[in-house]
Amino acid sequence: MANQRFNISMKKFLSDPILGVIILLLLVGGVASFTVEVFFTLQNFTNFLSGSYFVMLLAMGMTVVLISGGIDLSIGAVMALCAGIVAKLALQGMSVPLVIVCALAVGAFVGCLNGLLVTVVGLPDFIATLAMSAFATGILFIWTKGTPIVGYMDETYKQIGGLAPIYREVTVPMVIAIVVAFALGAMLKKTKFGVHLFSVGSNRLATRQSGINVTNIRILAYVISGVCAALSGIIMAGRNTTVPPDLGGGYEVLAIAAALIGGASLMGGRGRILGAILGEVVLAMTINIINLLGVPSSYQKIFIGGILLLAVLVNQLVISSRTKILMRSTNKK
Amino acid sequence: MSFPTALSTTRSAPIILDIRQISKSYQGVAALENASLQVRKGEIHAVLGGNGAGKSTLIGILSGVTQPDSGEFLLEGSALAPRNPRDAIKSGITTIYQELSLVPALTTLENIFLGRELIIERAGMKVLLDRKKMKNEVIELAQIFGISKDELDIPISEFGALKKKVIEIVKALTFDARILILDEPTSGLEEEERLHLFDHMRNLRSRGVGLIWVTHHLDELHGLADVATIFRDGRTLESLNLENSTVGEITNLMFGIQSNEAGLRTKNDRLQKDDKSNRPEVLSLHAVSRAGVLRDISFSLHAGEVIGISGLAGAGRTELARVIMGIDTRTSGQIFLKGKEVNFKSSAFAYKAGIAMLPEDRKQLGIISGLSVAENISISNLSSVSRFGFIISRKKERELATKYKEILSIRTPSVNQKINNLSGGSQQKAIVARCLNSKPSVLIIDEPTQGVDVAAKTEVHELIRDFTSKGGAAIVIASEIQELLELSHEILVLRNGSIVGRIENVQNSIEKSRVVEIKAEVLALSAGKRLKNEI
Repeated sequence: MANQRFNISMKKFLSDPILGVIILLLLVGGVASFTVEVFFTLQNFTNFLSGSYFVMLLAMGMTVVLISGGIDLSIGAVMALCAGIVAKLALQGMSVPLVIVCALAVGAFVGCLNGLLVTVVGLPDFIATLAMSAFATGILFIWTKGTPIVGYMDETYKQIGGLAPIYREVTVPMVIAIVVAFALGAMLKKTKFGVHLFSVGSNRLATRQSGINVTNIRILAYVISGVCAALSGIIMAGRNTTVPPDLGGGYEVLAIAAALIGGASLMGGRGRILGAILGEVVLAMTINIINLLGVPSSYQKIFIGGILLLAVLVNQLVISSRTKILMRSTNKK
Repeated sequence: MSFPTALSTTRSAPIILDIRQISKSYQGVAALENASLQVRKGEIHAVLGGNGAGKSTLIGILSGVTQPDSGEFLLEGSALAPRNPRDAIKSGITTIYQELSLVPALTTLENIFLGRELIIERAGMKVLLDRKKMKNEVIELAQIFGISKDELDIPISEFGALKKKVIEIVKALTFDARILILDEPTSGLEEEERLHLFDHMRNLRSRGVGLIWVTHHLDELHGLADVATIFRDGRTLESLNLENSTVGEITNLMFGIQSNEAGLRTKNDRLQKDDKSNRPEVLSLHAVSRAGVLRDISFSLHAGEVIGISGLAGAGRTELARVIMGIDTRTSGQIFLKGKEVNFKSSAFAYKAGIAMLPEDRKQLGIISGLSVAENISISNLSSVSRFGFIISRKKERELATKYKEILSIRTPSVNQKINNLSGGSQQKAIVARCLNSKPSVLIIDEPTQGVDVAAKTEVHELIRDFTSKGGAAIVIASEIQELLELSHEILVLRNGSIVGRIENVQNSIEKSRVVEIKAEVLALSAGKRLKNEI
């Protein structure tokens, strides 16, 4: 009985998608602490983390979409568009809360459009969100006439962007990331909607046959990812101090990488919010280490590619060794 | 969620499901014709029949996947017309299919309550799952079926085939299922697991659930099923009380063997017994095994010969073909092709060496939909239509396809037609053409005439005979014994992966009286030795 109990908790632990990223985190962190002296300091940690909250938000939204069996390639562009909206409206003298509400509404709207395109219209997720990405970037280009939006910054936006702390080391982006992480984490684990998200991504037909409105679930997943992108854009506007038209380029790829490193699967039905966060931490840590080692920043992308491949390999290794361990434990019985 | 108390006997139990004269046809072809059957409370009701007998259509109608053209069915006296599976489940009819209808990523508990989760109210919001309450509701039932409390929290993907089946059963019971349809529930289960499943089925019976059990495994029936209804050609033939009927009777009904059945046509060009030894051996298998699937398969195939493979579904027929083709690896044994030992790494090597296969599942594995008839024919041997061996000549391709179109009388306005627009029979012939075009010395055909009308069937048979009369050798896998008798020189009967019987010199023994005898023998061998005594 005790043995069975152990087996079951073992099963649970080993089937957790987060296992891979923890291994990777220990690996990268371990290597860094031996090779780079200043790596293990609070200063360094807050430093490299401060630049990663906005990607974390993108990765969390992406994880929700990945769990539902989709993929959202528009979030980089939506983030930039929302940053543009913040800058534009702030320049026109709109109050900060109203600016934020407008940006969030645009994010939710684009997410909703994505959701409608993949469900009601029936386009493949990849194509619909790629098109949406092009639209969002296009709008920002028209708006900015190709030159960066400048001159909207004030003390409040500095705080929103995390350039000025609100209390000691605590910054607004950090708080937003933590609040969103807890909200989404609880949503996935403790609500009906969360269960249905996994269900849709894992076996869409069986979910539909259980009387669940699959369309609504999928649309809502994209809305969540759009809102996350908008939040990320609001932070970005403050952090970057200007909004160039090509601000969003490539961030969706980083978000996908972080989500996959964190144990999400392109096949749907798998993923964790904490995984996405740790996935981004691994990416940020890697960039931090190569910066500390004095490697030219032009090499960054190569390392990110390498980490992504390594992460997927580790996840696969975890899965296959898990099957072996479980087989052995059942054979013993 | 309450359950009826156990019933001691089923004979006098009330009818809970009354199926009355249900008919359904697809594009003018009747799949079900006035099918009727009654299931009593606490009864295990076996539904038997060969491929295409109408069993799946009936399940589809009962489970709300398809709607009947006419007829009705009553559950506990009230007529039911489920529009979708959800409807049927809610009304008390759950179907457990061969493939999984659970969600792998969710836990046992989440699967059981999927779509009807219990919600706890917190701060005026009804969003949080009440896992505790859900657990309490289901735990008692789960434990009866051997699912522990901890296992409720484990994702379905971690469980084996039996446990998944049992979870589906428990899920059905929480819907207060009064009729449970089990479609080939033992497929994919080990021997020991089967026995466990049967225990669960008895348990369900004692709870008063009416079980409809679709199975090919006749040897499992006795001692478990109470009644069996036999389907043939879309009609329900008879409901037998299994206490006083033998498997012999059942198989006779299933496959329509009657003593006055006409004998088989004998062909002049057929191979005679004495010249077999004169012909060279083309393919031979020595004790070929694949763990858990095939055991010690040995036979030799000579030029001009057809070996028929018989056996029930799951006996290892298709698996044998896959091992010969190198699609699956063998765990032991040797395969010789023209005297040389071969070990194909994939079917491409088998094709190169001269073995061609026509797969069973035409839609999925055979035709390449989207390509034209001509392209489908030439694809296995593109060099036959190429210039300098690598530039494909569309003209040559068309000529080749037109040649086969005429020889095989493939009915299509043009060989440029997309293959999916053709009838089933013509598609099959196009694939035969593809195989023949790769100039094989051995042709393996899995269910050569599945989904093919009578006329086309004869033509496909002619093609096979023509192929062997020119020195080719063929292995034909078929469920229909009649078909094997018409084509083969020797019939091997497979059961549980082993050859349990060989009927040699089929062509010599074809006399009217012997046909019935051979059929009965093959069936008895397929179903298991215990049954042989009964016949």
